[in-house]
Amino acid sequence: MNATLIFLAKRVGAAVIIVLLLAVAIFALQQAAPLDPAKAMLGPGASQQAVTAQRQVMGLDDPPAEQLGRYISGLVTGDLGTSYRTRRPVAQDLAAFVPATVELASTALVFAVLLATFFAVSTSLRWPGAGVIRLLLLAGSSAPAFLLGIAAILLFYKELGWLPASGRTEFSDAPSGPTGLLTVDGILAGRLDVTLDAWRHLVLPALAISFGPAVAVGRVLRSSLSGEQVSDYARTARAKGIVEPVVLRRHILRNAVGPALSMTGLQVGLMFAGVLVVEQIFGWPGVGQYTAQSIPVADFPAIAGVTLLLGVGYVAINTVVDVLQAVADPRIQA
Amino acid sequence: MALGRRSAWAGASLLVIVTLVALLAPVISPHDPLTPAGAPLQAPGSAGFALGTDSIGRDVLSRVLAGIRLSWFAALAVIASGLVIGGVVGVVAGAAGGWVDTVLMRVTDLFLALPAPVLAIAVVAGLGPGLVNTLIAVSIVWWPFYARIIRGEIRTLRARPHVETARLSGVSSVRVAWRHLLPGAVPAVVVTASLDVGNLVITLAGLSFLGLGQPAPAAELGADTARNLSYLLQQWWIPVMPGIGVLVLSVVGNIAGDSVRTLLERR
Repeated sequence: MNATLIFLAKRVGAAVIIVLLLAVAIFALQQAAPLDPAKAMLGPGASQQAVTAQRQVMGLDDPPAEQLGRYISGLVTGDLGTSYRTRRPVAQDLAAFVPATVELASTALVFAVLLATFFAVSTSLRWPGAGVIRLLLLAGSSAPAFLLGIAAILLFYKELGWLPASGRTEFSDAPSGPTGLLTVDGILAGRLDVTLDAWRHLVLPALAISFGPAVAVGRVLRSSLSGEQVSDYARTARAKGIVEPVVLRRHILRNAVGPALSMTGLQVGLMFAGVLVVEQIFGWPGVGQYTAQSIPVADFPAIAGVTLLLGVGYVAINTVVDVLQAVADPRIQA
Repeated sequence: MALGRRSAWAGASLLVIVTLVALLAPVISPHDPLTPAGAPLQAPGSAGFALGTDSIGRDVLSRVLAGIRLSWFAALAVIASGLVIGGVVGVVAGAAGGWVDTVLMRVTDLFLALPAPVLAIAVVAGLGPGLVNTLIAVSIVWWPFYARIIRGEIRTLRARPHVETARLSGVSSVRVAWRHLLPGAVPAVVVTASLDVGNLVITLAGLSFLGLGQPAPAAELGADTARNLSYLLQQWWIPVMPGIGVLVLSVVGNIAGDSVRTLLERR
């Protein structure tokens, strides 16, 4: 147990250092950027005098080390700077968009894991559909998330009319708190109709985001499953008279899941990029909308905030994955 | 997927075919991609417009071809820069070893510990939007992947007898790296790079979709889909066709990558 704790401390320490270095990199980028933040804040019509005064207010003429220190200590207290576009604190802006994205991204992650398992099992079994599924997977994994998204809208919304294609909910009186996740808030407020409707809105965008990553994870899972199935310990277990489902669940899966878990962690980066894009297609009021609005006007603080947020999310998920691996397979801690 | 040698050659030659199509796009396009050529909103299969026309009557096929040209060369450019930067870093780290290796690989790990597309968006925000800046940004976040692989290859090669012999006979370390280590890393790098083309095409299309590319009239696969989303339910071909262009490029990249691997690994 002690070894596990040391491993945990090491991984968390590494994660904190990575996030700190990301913050330093973003600061360096801001310094190197051709755009004067004071000018950006005041708009193109500002006089030279006003810009000089604004530079003083923002402390832009201080030594870079001092500015960096201020930036980092600001981040620790949740200060992500002020958006050039909305003129509000970026943290406050993001807080309005984050719950929708968290709900979508976590649903997509669950979908990805379920789909990956389905792909791995269905293509390793011998049945006539395996070839068709494999071909579909090859094509699907090569498709950009935005194409999957619009194809899903055409099929499930326009042709079949099964599922909604835009926004998070049909209800104008949907509860707005306390978590900001409509599926959860619906249950908390006793509004099961809201929860059900929120689920229906989640299905298509989450599918579009999760398909590509699911194929990648499914491939890894399938190859490690088939590798472990012919291993010595599996044969021993069968020889002892243990039935196949139990061999699979108790012996094989535990060993095969490691590589697939690592791959899931790595694919989260791809899923974040997918979230930003797919939110545009489905009119999802999340971080992707905020990013898309910030890009054309070069709103650096806003985009830096999004980058930090997603960077922290990615590092956190991969740290959890590493720790889970170590718990599942104590050899990794060595 | 086990491919025969012949089909592997066919797969690898797809790279040449797509490159030719990209090169010749201006010649084989039936119309100018930037100017209206007929009535707007014509469905695919209309006379002279195999993939239909867009909202102001521009030929969708010509725009997709122009977009394919741009995407393909953009992806190749990023891979080339990744090979050069990653190659230098990987060879230096692998050949030098010691603290040089440690420092360079820590920097590399930092990049790899963060999602590349997200980093690229931040770099573009710093540099300002535009196609060239986007390519610079993606190149900045893409090389560590190659540095890792090349460094790994170099480390294995360094322990081989022929390298040791060269070093013992007094060959300079630069010459050892250039003549004896680098050539040995080429096959693994070629396989990695060809499998990477599809990924890059998709990533670049995603960034273009988010508005990190050329401004409006230019034909770009991701941006053409994003700008025409409002036509999806009535004139589906306008946003869908550019997406299919991305799909085709990425399928070609994946098939060709698999084929190159088959060809190189069977030696």
